[in-house]
Amino acid sequence: MPAKKRTTRIGNWYKSDDEKVHFVRRRKAPRPSQLRKISPGQVLILLAGRFQGKRVVFLKQLKSGLLLVTGPFKINGVPLKRVNQAYVIPTSTKVDIKGVDASKIEDEYFKRTEAQRRKNEKGFWAKRGELTEEQQVAEKKRLDEKRKTQKSIDDALVATIRKTSLLKQYLGARFSIGKTTRPHDLIF
Amino acid sequence: MKSEQQQKGVTKTVKKVKVNKKAPVRLWVKAVFTGFRRSKVQQNENQALLKIQHVDDVSSSRFYWGKRVAYIYKAHSLKNNTKFRTIWGRVSRSHGSNGIVIARFNKNLPPRAIGSTLRVFLYPNRA
Repeated sequence: MPAKKRTTRIGNWYKSDDEKVHFVRRRKAPRPSQLRKISPGQVLILLAGRFQGKRVVFLKQLKSGLLLVTGPFKINGVPLKRVNQAYVIPTSTKVDIKGVDASKIEDEYFKRTEAQRRKNEKGFWAKRGELTEEQQVAEKKRLDEKRKTQKSIDDALVATIRKTSLLKQYLGARFSIGKTTRPHDLIF
Repeated sequence: MKSEQQQKGVTKTVKKVKVNKKAPVRLWVKAVFTGFRRSKVQQNENQALLKIQHVDDVSSSRFYWGKRVAYIYKAHSLKNNTKFRTIWGRVSRSHGSNGIVIARFNKNLPPRAIGSTLRVFLYPNRA
């Protein structure tokens, strides 16, 4: 017998066979992965990707579990970015992010738009990549908004960073493994 | 031009094309592929022995467990816009008491790689 309660009324129609009710595993609300030793305002080192070696400031953990970081952009060229915990080394340096409001930014902010996805079309699909007038306008608007959001977050951050001596240079420098560096001995 | 993606649908910059004019940055540790795990007359090609630079004992080698390793080699023909190719793997366990580590790769390493330098990356970071 199916364990679920029927929410609809059974009319005059009766099923001929005993139908098995598909067991739906009750999905709990997705939980973001546990933050390991990382707290907002901490400086992280990115380990992979275009910005590998860059030191960035951690803002908050997004609902998907990814970490929201920013360079800040003016200091080291890293924009607002999502990063996986496993691809990051947390350092002991902390930046005060009290004036920074990243609450409006969630995973949707990073979602690729149709225009973005079609931008690099080549060959047979090249026509799809060409944006219509309204798409171009929308793209421009989207980029302007992005710049604004980046600026609004970074301005407060950069002001705090300037107060600590050498922090700006620290964030601007890249981490690198030298000839005698032993990562297993390093205390970050 | 950005460097080309290598495998697994995850963007990993393997060889940096010089867009930045500053000194290149190394985020990986050098390791030498010393051979396959073996006894005197039999070897297991699934398990590659790696000597990671500056790692001399088991407690140091523990840091590298799970870290991804890449064997990078050059081929004649272009694939994915590049002549460089990689075989990815992971450090799976330690071997012996002197810091040697066993790595397992998606495809077994070719024997000509013995003696060559492999890249042990610092991710996934388990800390």
